[in-house]
Amino acid sequence: MIRVWSGREVKLSITMDYPHFSNYENLREAVIGFGQFARYSEFNAGVQETLDALNIAGTELIHQREYLRYALKAVYCCSYEEINRFDDMFDMFWSARSDVVKIETMKRNQTNTAKKTNPSIVMMGHGSATGQLIDTKDISGANTEERLRNTDFAKLEEIESEYLEEIAMKMWKQMSYRLKRRMKSAKKGDRLDLRQTIRRNIAHGGDLIELRMKSKKRRKERLVVFLDVSGSMDKYSLFLLKFIWSLKTHFKKIEAFIFSTNLVRITDYLEVDNIEATLETMSKKVNNWSSGTRIGACFNTFNEEYAKYILNGKSTVIILSDGLDTGQPEVLSTALHRMKLRTKKIVWLNPLKGMKGYLPVQKGMRAALTEIDILRSAHSLNSLLELEELLVQV
Amino acid sequence: MLESRTTIVNAFEKYRYVLDNELATIIYLMQKLGKPLLLEGNPGVGKTSVAGVLAQCLNTPLIRLQCYEGLDVNSAVYEWNYQRQLLSIKIQENANRTEEEKEAHIFGKEFLLERPLLKAITAVEKAPVLLIDEVDRADEEFEAFLLELLSEFQISIPEMGTIKAIHKPLVVLTSNRTRELSDALKRRCLYHWIDYPDFEKEVKIVLQHRPDIDEELVQSVVKVVHTLRETKLQKVPGVAETLDWINGLVALGYQELRPEGMVETLGCLLKSTDDIVKIKSVGVEHLIN
Repeated sequence: MIRVWSGREVKLSITMDYPHFSNYENLREAVIGFGQFARYSEFNAGVQETLDALNIAGTELIHQREYLRYALKAVYCCSYEEINRFDDMFDMFWSARSDVVKIETMKRNQTNTAKKTNPSIVMMGHGSATGQLIDTKDISGANTEERLRNTDFAKLEEIESEYLEEIAMKMWKQMSYRLKRRMKSAKKGDRLDLRQTIRRNIAHGGDLIELRMKSKKRRKERLVVFLDVSGSMDKYSLFLLKFIWSLKTHFKKIEAFIFSTNLVRITDYLEVDNIEATLETMSKKVNNWSSGTRIGACFNTFNEEYAKYILNGKSTVIILSDGLDTGQPEVLSTALHRMKLRTKKIVWLNPLKGMKGYLPVQKGMRAALTEIDILRSAHSLNSLLELEELLVQV
Repeated sequence: MLESRTTIVNAFEKYRYVLDNELATIIYLMQKLGKPLLLEGNPGVGKTSVAGVLAQCLNTPLIRLQCYEGLDVNSAVYEWNYQRQLLSIKIQENANRTEEEKEAHIFGKEFLLERPLLKAITAVEKAPVLLIDEVDRADEEFEAFLLELLSEFQISIPEMGTIKAIHKPLVVLTSNRTRELSDALKRRCLYHWIDYPDFEKEVKIVLQHRPDIDEELVQSVVKVVHTLRETKLQKVPGVAETLDWINGLVALGYQELRPEGMVETLGCLLKSTDDIVKIKSVGVEHLIN
C-alpha cells in the first residue's frame, strides 16, 4: 500500500510496487494505467479522459515527455489546484525509475491559489470560550470533512481550520448561487411573455386573446449584518467574517458592520474580490478587534448615524454575537427596539447556542430576546449552511 | 488547421501574442481532439486574446458571447421575431391551411433570430472560433444549457428540433474564477491556467506590442510591475495594465522611468484608490530603485 497526494492509501495491483509506465506491456496499457493512477489520486479521470489520453498517445506529442505532460495535464486537470498536484504524479509515473519522485502525503490546503498569508488581525485561538463546548469526539461523521463541518470553530486546530476554510468558501458560494431566482412564465405578472403568447394564439388567427405573462422577479431586499469582534468572539469572528464576505455574491445590497467597543462600517471592504486583501485592509483600518463589548452602545450608534439611510422597513438584520455585553441591558433592548421599528426581521446568531444545554441566561441575551425574531446558532459550518432557508426569505 | 506547435507559436507571434510551449501544445490538441478549451487565470493575463488571435491565424470569423448574470437562451442562442410572426399570422388568417401547417410556417427559419451560439454552429463556409467570455459570470442554468453544445456541438430548439453543427467551431471559454464552474462543464473542456508571465516573457510581450520603445524602459517598467505583484494589492496589475502603463509613460514623453512619471501614470497601473494610496505611502522611488 502506498499513500498518495490526497492522503488516501491506494491498493495497487500485485505486479506493481508503485505505479510506473515500465510495469505495463505497451504504451496503450501504460496510458490506461496512468488514467487509473490519476483516478486514485482524485483527479477527474473517467472513460472520456482515458480515451482522450489514448488519442494523444497517437499523436507526435508522445515523442517528447514535456509535450505529453502538457497534453495530459489539460485533459486530467480541472482547476489551478489540480495543476499544482499533477506534475508530481506525472513525474512519478513517467520518469525513469531512478528519478522517481518520493511520494509524500500532501495536505489539500497547501494547494490553494490565493497566497495564504496570515492577516495581522488577531483572530482564532485567542480569547477564551466559556461553558461546555461540543467535543469533536462526539461528532458523528464518516470522514474528516463531515466531522469538521460539525465541529465548533472554537475547537479547531490551526491546520484543521485552514482546511475547513477551503470547504467553507466553496459551500458558501454554492449556497449563494442556489439562492438566485429567475423569471418564470406565469398567468400573472407585469411583463408579456411573447413567445408563449404567440404559441397560444395561433389557433385564434393571431388575435391575442390569451395572454401569458412573466412573473416579476422577486426583489432582493437589503441585508444588514452586525459581527461581534470582541475578545470573547475571537474563535468565531474570522469564519463568520468570511461567511459574510461570501454572502455578497447573492445579496447585492448587503451592509456590514463590526462592533466591540465601537461600531465600524465595513461594507466597502466587501466589494473587493480577494478575501485575503480584504482582511489585510481591514486589519489596518479597523482597531477594535478583540476588545471589550458594548453591544447596546454600538447599536445606538447605528440607529443614530446609519439607520435612516440603510433601513427601509423591508430590511433583514442579522446579528452575529455571543451576547456577552458589558453595558447596561436596558440600553441594548432599547436600541434593538428602535432598530426593529424599521426592519422586517431581526435574526440573532449566537455561537454559544451550539453548546450542549445552552440557555440564554446572560443579561445581554435576556434583554435582546424580547426584540429579536429568530435565535439560531452559528458555531459550525453546518449551522451556517442551515441558514439558507432563512436567507431565501429575505 | 495549424499543423504543428511551431506553426502555432509562429502564427501567434505574427499577431503579437507571445505563446509558451504549453499553451501552444494545448491549442494543437484542441484542434486534434475537437474539444473546447477552458482558460482560467487572473484578469489581464491574455485569456480573451487567445480566441481573437486564433481566429486571425486561421482566417476565420470570431463569434463572441460575453456572459453576464441573467444571460438566457434568448440572448445567447436564438429568439423569435415576434413582430413578423404576428404579422404573418394575420396575413394567413384566411389562408387555406391547417393549424399544423400554420404553426410549422410561423416557427420556420425565416422568423428565427440567430444569436452567437446558434450562429457558431450554423456557419456555412468554415468552422469559426467561438469565444464564450467570462463564463463564470453566467449562472448555473446557462452553464447546464452549454453542456449539449460543448459535447455534441448541437442545439435543440423545441419548435424546430435539433440543429447540428455544419462545421464544429473551435470553442474557447474564459473564466476569472469569480465562482467555481460545474464539473460537468469543466470535464467537457481541455483546461489551462494562464498565470502572470515571468520577467523575460513580459518584456517580450511589451516589445512585441511596442517595438519602438527602448528596452531599458521596458525592463524598468516590468521590474516594478513584478514587484507590485508580490505586494498585497486589492487589484493586482495584469499584462494589460503593464501595456497601458508603458503607453501612458511614452505618451507623456518619458524615456526612462522616473518617480514623477510613475506618480502621474499610477492610474494606468493601479485600479483601486486604496492600492494607489498604499503605493504612494511606500514611496514610488523605493519601488523604482
